[in-house]
Amino acid sequence: MSDVIFSNQLTEKEKYEHFLKRIKEGEKIEADDWMPDEYRFTLIKLISMHGISEIMGALPEKEWVPKAPSLKRKLGIMAKVQDEMGHGQLLLRVAEDLMKPLGKTREDILEDLFSGRLKFHNVFHMEAPTWGDAGLIGWLVDGAAIISQTNMLNASYGPYARALKRICAEEVFHAQHGEAIIMALAEGTKEQREMVQEAVNRWWEALLMFFGPADASTTGTSKQDITIKYRIRTKTNEELRQDFFSKYIPRVLSLGLTLPDETLHFDKEQALWVYKQPDWNRFKEIIKNNGPKSKDRLELRKMAYIENQWVREALNMAK
Amino acid sequence: MKMVDGKPMEQAYQSALLSLLYQLADDDFILAYRGSEWLGLAPHIEEDVAFSSISQDTMGHAAMFYQLLSDLGEGDVDHLAHARSAKERKNAILLEMVNGPGHYLSKPRYDWAFAVVRNYFYVQAKKVRMESLKNSSYEPLANAALKVNMELYYHLLHWKTWFVQLMQAGDEARKKMEDAIKRVSADFDGVVSLGPLSKDIATFKLIESEDILKEKWKLFMQPVFDSVNLEMPDQFGIQSGDGRKGEHSKDLDDALIILSEVYQVDPAASW
Amino acid sequence: MGSEGFYQEFEVFSKRSDTSPLQYQFSLLAPNSEIALIMAQENFMRREPVADIWVVKRSDIRKMNMEEKQTLQRLDNKEYRNTKGYGYLKKKWRQYEQGMLDEKEILSWGEEKKSENG
Repeated sequence: MSDVIFSNQLTEKEKYEHFLKRIKEGEKIEADDWMPDEYRFTLIKLISMHGISEIMGALPEKEWVPKAPSLKRKLGIMAKVQDEMGHGQLLLRVAEDLMKPLGKTREDILEDLFSGRLKFHNVFHMEAPTWGDAGLIGWLVDGAAIISQTNMLNASYGPYARALKRICAEEVFHAQHGEAIIMALAEGTKEQREMVQEAVNRWWEALLMFFGPADASTTGTSKQDITIKYRIRTKTNEELRQDFFSKYIPRVLSLGLTLPDETLHFDKEQALWVYKQPDWNRFKEIIKNNGPKSKDRLELRKMAYIENQWVREALNMAK
Repeated sequence: MKMVDGKPMEQAYQSALLSLLYQLADDDFILAYRGSEWLGLAPHIEEDVAFSSISQDTMGHAAMFYQLLSDLGEGDVDHLAHARSAKERKNAILLEMVNGPGHYLSKPRYDWAFAVVRNYFYVQAKKVRMESLKNSSYEPLANAALKVNMELYYHLLHWKTWFVQLMQAGDEARKKMEDAIKRVSADFDGVVSLGPLSKDIATFKLIESEDILKEKWKLFMQPVFDSVNLEMPDQFGIQSGDGRKGEHSKDLDDALIILSEVYQVDPAASW
Repeated sequence: MGSEGFYQEFEVFSKRSDTSPLQYQFSLLAPNSEIALIMAQENFMRREPVADIWVVKRSDIRKMNMEEKQTLQRLDNKEYRNTKGYGYLKKKWRQYEQGMLDEKEILSWGEEKKSENG
């Protein structure tokens, strides 16, 4: 336990130092605790983006929910997409509590999404034109998400760490759901195998982008230094991307699939995967809502929001 | 040859049983499909999650009924769910109707009032059926009904809560809800109906008669209607046709194309 | 219900079984406690058994602030409240050729009775 403090008797500097000490000692910061503005704003940005990405991430897979090819797959993907909405719920609750002192609510988060102020993850701007994509999202996009989320399981912000613990437990199901779909296709007919290979080719660049640029020199901004300073995360973008390669490249290749990068190899001397950089300018465009499906998906979310406005208003005013 | 009470199943009995099972399976399947289209589009995130559980449960029930059909030699469950044409389907037309104008991926103008009323009225009817089926002469069906029934307490509470609250939530909501009740009532006899073999179905004690089930439904609904100051409709209709006879709308044709799109790429393949 | 908005904050608690203690789950937004209640299980307990659920409006909870949490600290000098302060009795009873009625022994009495009846 930390020293006895009464925050109203301390100067801002003392509060800040006490806060850093708490973080350093592994204490968890809670919603009502004093925190520096930079910490609060970093968390709001990170967690609202994470939360809204879960909500938007339900949409590419949503297409395949009614279309899934068997009763078992229909049930599995329904449960999976439901979890994505559920993760959005958990994360948005965490973000909403952080925003509360600023007078902002869930309505503001959605308004920010529609206006383009709040971004969502690059992968959810992409097309998912076949059932193979549905499997691939579960397998590799969720695989990438597991890598980046487990990196924050010990985040200094308690509510976020607790939400992530729930989320990661469910991601294990997602990964296996994705693997099951991919496995069936990879072991299936020629047409089915082509379906997976095409999905891999389509998603590879987006998967590289998923972890973000290695440093700010690539895209002009990067929040990774601040998040590491405040012990929200431990590893850098590049470290996470390398972890993803190590875990998933051997599995992809073991199924007889190929990756669309002829330069890709493991360099034993550097102990690093060498790969072709994705087009980071394209990345910047995508997350500015100029990706192939950005507009459609925002439109869909907005439509649902507007069509149900009457329900929220009615129960808002009831009795 | 399947056995009932230790004796071979008579032809007439089997026909009645199959007819009932197709109704039960197809009703749940198509409504769960409509529910799956709502995923991500509900009034708020928390409801999206809750509604999806109900759709999953309901599709799980459909799978149990398809399994009973499969056990009687009607074919593989995925074939039953995905490959039968509209005219082979026995679900009520009310349950196949679209959630609203638009497509589930593009400009869905889905109607929450219709979702609440259709689901609430249906789940109460399903609950009455399951209670009755617990005494079915076909034991595998009685066993299935016992299981399905367990999950209906939540479905009923969920939809009843939305129904009662929206009915009392001011003029605009009340109007939308009353419009939805009119639409649902106009085709609700299609849900209550046990189809062309209804007499046999009751005679063979597979389930109680249509009239008894309908009266029970009204008995359960009357206090709820009273609590929201609404007159129970004297009569329901079957305006859009009788799904139990294989009559269906374009809504079902469109739904079948979507729900079997991947399955039909290669029905023999393992997915 | 009230006119405070559709997005009211509710805290959700649940019991895993009849005998488990109430456990905090998470918070959700709902317009009133009835809707909150029908959201609770599916949002937070989709994959585990549940025996009971409570939803509590967050504004009805009196929470501690950071200063108040300081009131929770205490010194480790209260042996007299625990059996630890009376450990010497074991030796004493031995002199009288009696066993010590310690926590383990006393709490086992309830179980014995149960098994005799059942």
